[in-house]
Amino acid sequence: MMDRLLRQAAGLGGAALGKLQHTRIPGVGQASTTEPADVAARRWRAVTVFRDDLAGPFPELEALGPDLEVRLQPAPGGRGTELYGRFHGTPGADRIGELRAALRRTKQLAEVGEVLRVDPQPHGTRKPTVQGAALEGAAARAPKEGVL
Amino acid sequence: MKAAIWAGVNEVTVEDVPEPQLLNDHDVLLRIHKTVTCGSDLHLIGGYIPAMRAGDVLGHEFLGTVVEKGKAVQRVQVGDRVVVPSFVACGSCWYCSQELYSLCDNGNPDPGITEGLWGQSPGGCFGYSHAMGGYAGSHAEYMRVPYADVGCFVVPDGVSDTRALFASDSVTTGWTGAHLGGTKPGDVVAVWGAGAVGQMAARAAMLLGAEQVVVIDRLPERLAQVRQHVGAEAVDYSTTDVVAELRERTGGRGPDVCIEAVGMEAHSTGVQGAFDQVKQQLRLQTDRPSAVREAIRACRKGGSVFVLGVFAGPVDKFPLGAMMNKGLTVRGAQQHGQRYVPEILAHMESGALTTEHLATHTMPLSQAAEGYRIFKDKEDGCVRTVFEPGS
Repeated sequence: MMDRLLRQAAGLGGAALGKLQHTRIPGVGQASTTEPADVAARRWRAVTVFRDDLAGPFPELEALGPDLEVRLQPAPGGRGTELYGRFHGTPGADRIGELRAALRRTKQLAEVGEVLRVDPQPHGTRKPTVQGAALEGAAARAPKEGVL
Repeated sequence: MKAAIWAGVNEVTVEDVPEPQLLNDHDVLLRIHKTVTCGSDLHLIGGYIPAMRAGDVLGHEFLGTVVEKGKAVQRVQVGDRVVVPSFVACGSCWYCSQELYSLCDNGNPDPGITEGLWGQSPGGCFGYSHAMGGYAGSHAEYMRVPYADVGCFVVPDGVSDTRALFASDSVTTGWTGAHLGGTKPGDVVAVWGAGAVGQMAARAAMLLGAEQVVVIDRLPERLAQVRQHVGAEAVDYSTTDVVAELRERTGGRGPDVCIEAVGMEAHSTGVQGAFDQVKQQLRLQTDRPSAVREAIRACRKGGSVFVLGVFAGPVDKFPLGAMMNKGLTVRGAQQHGQRYVPEILAHMESGALTTEHLATHTMPLSQAAEGYRIFKDKEDGCVRTVFEPGS
């Protein structure tokens, strides 16, 4: 019973994070995000990579399949290269999350040479609480979330 | 190994936890000599930043010795005694190239949380919740440091552990505020908060050429430290109208640079203090910004207000009209420590910058819960509690 409750809490934590950028309370989340979800889903997602010579191939992006369109353009002011990705059609939230995470990994590989890891790492007793499970769900989903 | 962990709201315990390991080629592992409490930890411990998971290792201001390094680490060697800024920065992104290290694009592996909150993600911070990367903190016998060539700075032989320890966060944060607040030779600088960060912001302003520096607090022992160890003027806000006092001390102008070093749990007197306490407890605002409001009111026309204290969310009654009509520059930042540590260590070596007085209490890591209690209650004149995991 408790395990089931904690699993549900973790799922809710991840889902809540997904909703955060669409919250329309002034001062919280992204109050300017007022467009319909299907319009937002068709936008280009982009990172700016601090490399003037950025060029493919980009394995992290290619792994997302042939319906992903990728383009590059120089960033203004010597900020490197803008790397864009967009799926054909209207992708769901999961696919957009995969694209966000892949763009971030691609940027790290180009700028630093490796993708930063944080787990496993030391920690003490993880109490089985609903709030804690929700936070773990949110943290697990965080690489795929955000406003990118 | 032993580590001090957050076990729940207002609950710190010491447990046996697994030792860290190298996860990336740019990592090092440190054996921690000294690690210290910070006022911003209290926001985490008290549940004001609800992104801590029970079991998370606390601590983000520390000094240690390199005991193992990844294969891509070149500048740092095993055996080096190093101090490390609390923010994790890659050194390779555009923000790092601009020396805005706490804004590093690649320092927070969980950027979705803070992007959702703030629109962009700053870098990550050791021991500072899953919103800031979920890194294990420094209140432990050993610790992993990513991007070691960017973040680890060898401490000169002539600088003691205790003095160098505060180059990790208190001095670097203070220096960030004084420098990016635009302190120039001849300026008058006012600092709200006489904790370690406020004192070090004041000292940084003096070393950057400020002619008059005034620090505001209510705790007599901290105000005494300001006079004795920093060499700045001290004002007790519990007995003085701060804005009037500053106006009188500055020929009617107000300070050129106002640095807020208090944060989201600011205390204040009268109706304003009660208003903010009630709204925060009812979750109608997340933070108590009374020192920021006062800094904006006190600042001279065309002056600069720098927000160094940690805030997380919306605040109420922000004096936007005063800010706009007085032509103020308002800026904030977490510390860009990698930019300032070499200069700070040089000042520490010369004796121009001393910090030992901040370490009012030192104890073994096994007493972390008691150390935080004394620190939170400001008992026995506590300014900072330093833990020694090896003792």
